[in-house]
Amino acid sequence: MKRQLAIYGKGGIGKSSTASNVAAAMGERNIKAMLIGCDPKSDSSITLLNGRRIPTIMDTLRKKGAISEEGVVFEGFNGVKCAEVGGPEPGVGCAGRGIIVAVQALQKVSDALRDSDVIIYDVPGDIVCGGFAVPITKGMVREAYIITSGEYMPLYAANNICRGLKTLHTPLSGIICNEREAEHEREIVEKFAAALGVPMLAYIPRDKIVQNCERAGRSVIEGEPKSAMAGVYRKLAGRILTEKDKKVPEALEDEDLRKLTQ
Amino acid sequence: MEQLAGAGRIIQPRPSSIVAALYTLRDLDTDVAILHGPPGCCFKHSRLLEEDGMRVVTTAMCDSDYVFGGHDLLVDVLGKAIDRFHPKTVGIVGTCASMIIGENFHRAVQEVGPSCPIIEVEIHAGFNDNTHGAIVTLEAARAVGLIDEGEMERQKKMLTLATEIEKRFGAASKDYIEPSRGDLKYKAAQRLMELMKQGKKGLSVLNAKKETAYMFADINLAVSQAARAAGAPGPVTIANLDQNVGLPRIRRYASTITAQLKEAGVAVDHITGGLDEYPMTGEKAARIIEEKYSDYDYVVLSGVPHAVPYEAIKGMEIFSVTNGPRQVAPLKDIGHRHVMVEVDLHPKTLGVKGMVESEFGETLRSLL
Repeated sequence: MKRQLAIYGKGGIGKSSTASNVAAAMGERNIKAMLIGCDPKSDSSITLLNGRRIPTIMDTLRKKGAISEEGVVFEGFNGVKCAEVGGPEPGVGCAGRGIIVAVQALQKVSDALRDSDVIIYDVPGDIVCGGFAVPITKGMVREAYIITSGEYMPLYAANNICRGLKTLHTPLSGIICNEREAEHEREIVEKFAAALGVPMLAYIPRDKIVQNCERAGRSVIEGEPKSAMAGVYRKLAGRILTEKDKKVPEALEDEDLRKLTQ
Repeated sequence: MEQLAGAGRIIQPRPSSIVAALYTLRDLDTDVAILHGPPGCCFKHSRLLEEDGMRVVTTAMCDSDYVFGGHDLLVDVLGKAIDRFHPKTVGIVGTCASMIIGENFHRAVQEVGPSCPIIEVEIHAGFNDNTHGAIVTLEAARAVGLIDEGEMERQKKMLTLATEIEKRFGAASKDYIEPSRGDLKYKAAQRLMELMKQGKKGLSVLNAKKETAYMFADINLAVSQAARAAGAPGPVTIANLDQNVGLPRIRRYASTITAQLKEAGVAVDHITGGLDEYPMTGEKAARIIEEKYSDYDYVVLSGVPHAVPYEAIKGMEIFSVTNGPRQVAPLKDIGHRHVMVEVDLHPKTLGVKGMVESEFGETLRSLL
């Protein structure tokens, strides 16, 4: 069955690292995967493309007035199709509107969107405006995954994302914990996931291998394929492919969330 | 996505895609159009369309709704519109404000669960070609089964052609065109009478868009009346008044005008197509002229004169009547000798059930 998913989470929590490694791991299993980066920084797929920046959909639209699949969708490591929405420099324009325009334009021209088995949208921030919800509202995303650490603020953002998912009637398929060496981290995130009624799909340990590979413009699957970290991402990819236990989440009350992190 | 290309943008105000969507909903005989946006958006056209029998309401979004979203407002107004007006069809039309913040019409429609079809038109005014608004509306109407595939494709073809003509010969042909009220109507009318009195042979061509024909056809009527009064050869009348083409409303316009012309003793000699086919019927009129009337002395073109290829009429003295002040310069550039503007034609042809007097027609009649 075709999987169309979005990865949300607080800025800097590791969405792009996880998304690109998961996509690479899926590619390794001969699954046709596509990664669509929705961050104006346009760096979601950079580690699948040997550190190369690709022309973004919004830049292409601005310069040429139209996009073609060949102009904005590029094949990366393990055959993963990569596209970047792009958007304005910080402090100007409207990145949310960029997602609306770009996603609709891509929908019109892209065979890869139609042909891929798994499409991953890497969406920045925590659904801060209608634009960031467009992959969902346009029916291009059927389920969401949230990445968090055990620290309070990422959990607070994750909880807020759950509010957005409820408004949009979109199911959450699981929580992914990206370790930040907080105290009782695994336990806290497990409790959070349990409170939401979804599984914690992976506990990604903090490991300098990830940063080293990123610096080299590679995913861990490509740069350190035999490492334990690569195994973690492969296992996560497997769980995403098989996970069925999803539900539209009920966000926790602030007080309950605070207690949970104590 | 043309609107996003940087260079070569037209800097004069252009027709709005939102308004084009509203007019298309009117053509579809939609009972209520809900503008999801600020209270003043498209006010003037909304008022005119109310005169034409379509209710237009607004969700009246304000600053806080731009920030917090207007979903609840849309749900509320859609519910109210259904309860109060018992419509058979409703259109929801986007605006720049609601579209920029990514409002989701479909979620609101699902929440209300209406019993009648809702045409969800996700449109804003950021398009160079206002016809985009009409196309999006047709697609939305098709999506809820209100028109069939064939009719949608036929209309899309016409709209694409209209856009091409506008870019080649019309108000979109330059990045800025000085608006003009055109030549003095009484001078042009005097010249036309002079030609008639000399026994010159003439053509009277109506190539008009939809309801604007209610006034443009009056010009063709006046030309026939003037020729009759002057004892001149009756002009050959060519018109896009096919009563079997287009949506029911468009066919009604054609039937009414044809009957009124007939009553006034004017028969249409050649039908070129329907009133929504003006981008194509100009070509057809040109072919008829080239085939049968290439030696005629004058031609009166009313409606969308620039859709009639100049090659077919270049040997004749041309009297063109348009309703676009920015159409005058391009028509003069092509070679049309007399170009007149029916100022405020469009508002005068909304909310009416038959032909209305034109200034040029009246001027001509005043000379008889």
